[in-house]
Amino acid sequence: MSDAPDAYRRARIPYGTWGSSYFPAWQMSPLAEVNIGQFAGEAMNRILGLRGVPRRQLDFLVLGSTIPWHWKFWTAPLVASCMDLRIPGYHLEQACATGLQAVLAAAAEVESGAHDVVGVLTFDRTSDSPVGVFPERRAYQRTVPLTDVWDNFGFDPATGRAMLACAGQAARKYRIERGEVDELTALRYRQYFAAKERGFLDKVLVPLELLNVQGKSMGWIDADLGVRGVSVASLGAMRELDTCVTAGTQTHASDGMATLLVTDRAHAREISPRPEIEIRIVAKAETRAAPGLMPEAPALAVERILARTGLRMADMAVIKDHNPFAVNDAIFALRLQCDWRRMNNTGCPLVWGHPQGPTLTRVTIEALEEAVELGGGYVLVFGCAAGDVGIAAVFQVTDRGGAE
Amino acid sequence: MNAMRPSTLETLGLGSVFDIFRRGQLPLDAAAAVGEVFGPAAARGSLVISGAGGTVGAGKAVQLGSRLARHGVTVVGLDLPGAPDGLARQFPGLVRAFGAAQAGAIMAGIVRLHYDGRILPERLRELRPRVLLEAVPEVLDLKRAHYRVFRDTFPEIEIRSVTSGFPSHALGVGIAHPAFPHEINKVWEIVEETPSAFTRLLWAIGLLPVPVSDHWSFVLDVLFCGLTLAALRQQRASNLPYWKSDKLVRRALGPNPFRAHDVIGAKGANFLTWSCLHHLSQQYGPLFAPTPELVQRKESGQNWYPPAHFRPLVDWAVTERDEEELQDWILGALIQMTSLLLHERRSHLTHLNAIGELCAQFRRGILAVIRELGPDAALRRVAAYHRLHPEAAGGPWYPETLAAIGTPPWQQLYVNAEHDGTIGVVSLARESYNHDVDAELNRALDWLQAAGIGRLIVSGDFHLSTQMSGADTAEFLPARGDAERGAAISRAWSATARRLHDDFRVSVGFIAGKRCLGGMLELMTHCHYLVAPENALLGMPEVTLPVVPGMEGCHWPLRKTDAAGRAKLLRLLLTGETVSGAEAAGWLVDYAGPMDASLAAAWEFASHAEARPLPRAAVELPPVPALPEAPSPQTDAARRAILDCVRGACAAPLAEALEAQARHAGAFMAGEWCGLSRT
Repeated sequence: MSDAPDAYRRARIPYGTWGSSYFPAWQMSPLAEVNIGQFAGEAMNRILGLRGVPRRQLDFLVLGSTIPWHWKFWTAPLVASCMDLRIPGYHLEQACATGLQAVLAAAAEVESGAHDVVGVLTFDRTSDSPVGVFPERRAYQRTVPLTDVWDNFGFDPATGRAMLACAGQAARKYRIERGEVDELTALRYRQYFAAKERGFLDKVLVPLELLNVQGKSMGWIDADLGVRGVSVASLGAMRELDTCVTAGTQTHASDGMATLLVTDRAHAREISPRPEIEIRIVAKAETRAAPGLMPEAPALAVERILARTGLRMADMAVIKDHNPFAVNDAIFALRLQCDWRRMNNTGCPLVWGHPQGPTLTRVTIEALEEAVELGGGYVLVFGCAAGDVGIAAVFQVTDRGGAE
Repeated sequence: MNAMRPSTLETLGLGSVFDIFRRGQLPLDAAAAVGEVFGPAAARGSLVISGAGGTVGAGKAVQLGSRLARHGVTVVGLDLPGAPDGLARQFPGLVRAFGAAQAGAIMAGIVRLHYDGRILPERLRELRPRVLLEAVPEVLDLKRAHYRVFRDTFPEIEIRSVTSGFPSHALGVGIAHPAFPHEINKVWEIVEETPSAFTRLLWAIGLLPVPVSDHWSFVLDVLFCGLTLAALRQQRASNLPYWKSDKLVRRALGPNPFRAHDVIGAKGANFLTWSCLHHLSQQYGPLFAPTPELVQRKESGQNWYPPAHFRPLVDWAVTERDEEELQDWILGALIQMTSLLLHERRSHLTHLNAIGELCAQFRRGILAVIRELGPDAALRRVAAYHRLHPEAAGGPWYPETLAAIGTPPWQQLYVNAEHDGTIGVVSLARESYNHDVDAELNRALDWLQAAGIGRLIVSGDFHLSTQMSGADTAEFLPARGDAERGAAISRAWSATARRLHDDFRVSVGFIAGKRCLGGMLELMTHCHYLVAPENALLGMPEVTLPVVPGMEGCHWPLRKTDAAGRAKLLRLLLTGETVSGAEAAGWLVDYAGPMDASLAAAWEFASHAEARPLPRAAVELPPVPALPEAPSPQTDAARRAILDCVRGACAAPLAEALEAQARHAGAFMAGEWCGLSRT
């Protein structure tokens, strides 16, 4: 194993203090009808309670969300109030990079010495996304209404292309075969269901019951609704929307939240249920691919991070990504000479959906949990985001008490 | 005269319940008490309430104004110019309680004056102030300066502070600390060396003065603020939202501490709670130290519950283990705090127990809760609390106070018994009947029987119980899905009631208070004779809840009367209407008249009457009287069920009627039409 630089000397992620909601597909759950900022705040409080972390430990909050929500203007302070916390914080977003960038921003807050216990809270509600009304004097319509999710998915103003077209273009560039993509996708579903079957997801996902204004139950958010089994045959039967892209080989919109903490070392040891596990943040990288080649961008980011750290793919105990299109993983495997069967062992957004803000946070949590199961090692987390952006980070999990 | 424990009336210098019956009159007449405090009618003085625009001042102005106006006492509401007009906000409530005309008259009798805080208005002199009830903000120097202003102008004035925290020795005046909601809550914690004429006046006009000792913060605030603090500490450790903490505390003990602050008005209530705990912590240490959340809300005045647009969204399911830990946090802290109250002999134990019930929504008084736990479990609970909150282990903690649980003052919190060797008087200090009352009543009857007492009067206590409202419906909640459990409660309580008939040569029920309803009336009708003041209200409102009467109300009183009386009883049972004592004379009560005459009649029955036999065979029922239309299908179902019960129980011989009644009551409680919430 190569020696990695120690970019974040102070920041640690306390093991076992994290959690995510399930990600029900858009319009399928009560999450489609609630203020997602309030939900995220209350859910984080609940998760911290279940993990035995008094919320008063937090002294800063980094929010990540990408879709406007009611009272978004108030961002982190408002969400903190939903936990009865009067702490400062800020909000950041960069489409699907948000969930990882928020973790790294929290690490920077700790690293700077400004804060000791920083909450990372990412969330989004793609269901019934708001419509913005933009006065545009130079547009022939004069005033442009824009639905936040679907109109943006369908049109990158910088390139004029839809997301889906990027996937097709990247697949063509790398001469990816449809059969490989279908096979890869089928494996991803098998990985997810296997992880679910053996209880792995129970370590990460927290069932949450929602209440209406009368205090009566609106139902539980206790399943990744919309995820159903596929096979190579069923995928093969689907209509190709662009090269290698079908309804089955791309992700779906969903709703949800995810949270973890970044602290200094002393607090990590104090609040983690297993203080012998140390989780460091080793490095980060971002890149932009050429216009319209978004699925290529994560591979570029990983190449960059490996170059800067001296680490090799072989050093990685866990590899996990945000893969809105299955072609992402095929291109990554091709560029990094890495078998895609080694990746995403416990599931991935291709399967469980794409609520944008929290997506890469859940990816990170699952990856760290998997590394703990394996007894430690380097963890590579990466993904793509709107604007042909790629983001990557490397974590190091060390179990000083020995492997489980 | 022998007593199981001292009467609470003795703490007011008003003798005992037994004395009331023996003398055939109440110890104090309202008109005389008013005269003693405010002077003769020709030169009646006034009551000044300073801070009358505030929540406490305004509430007390209308409460006292409505009771003193008929005696010609003017209430003067004094406040700073620009103070909130709390009095005007009381008017709708007065209209609901008294009707528009009387509400208008009460408001007209309240003279409102303003002053600058230093110089009293000249007009005040004309009104001859005799008593100042001070309700200005909880700032010690401000209060003392306020007293100086009054004493300089009116050297003879009697001053009482409504303070919830400052002791009398720090203020230099007596304390009359009232409980929320101030316009209707009758309880006043009184701090003074000996019961004063003012305190006895409160009793005489139907309020509940409760003497407490002169310590920082009085019993109510130690319990309520202490409970709030315990809930804050628990939620601080667990992340529970306040609304959920409230739900769990309510389930465990009754109160919603956080909701209560918001309802009272968070800005003022947060400050008062902080102030109380702050001073207690200075006296007693970290057991009472306010948490940062309370300090923050004291400063911001912010509500504990989120605003309506952020009503709770994510529920918080709790496990049995969570609930157990909550009990350690909440009950452990309260037991420790109660040990302090006991150690300092803060009040008569019945008062100490009742204050939580009457003023802080406790379902059962804290002593009754601890008594049921038993000393060993209570000690374990405190030990568990100390593991969670080690700072509290440093004290104050007086475990030895729990060793007295077996003694009569602990064992007879709600029911007392007195006798002179011939006649026994049992007095109930709780307005609704529950298992505590049932157990204590049995112990009181045992005690009288052991003393060979054959003649008995059963009555309210003329103090804490201003009415006899019926069975405590909270007792039935566990029986909502369990007919046998409901029948068991009915059976047990009916067996106690029958002792009033079977175990004494003669027994007399006396309706002390404004009304006697439901289970309490069922209990009282088991006495051989029933006496009621002419204006007391009697009724069986079970059909309106609805439940089926469970203490033999569907046959026992019907056996005592003739066909015409049975028809009237059927109407009571099937409509829930009430009748006055005067209207009930001859078929439900055996004597109804003015209070003193009623007391004398009860004594006469107890002294000289003999038991009347009750028909043991089935009794014949008259036709069901014409009834107003049932307001709902639920009421209709209840009427049918009650009628079935009446028919079944009256058709049975007396020996079997109890069981018939219990089965009907239990079955209805478990059925779909019962109006009680399911647990």
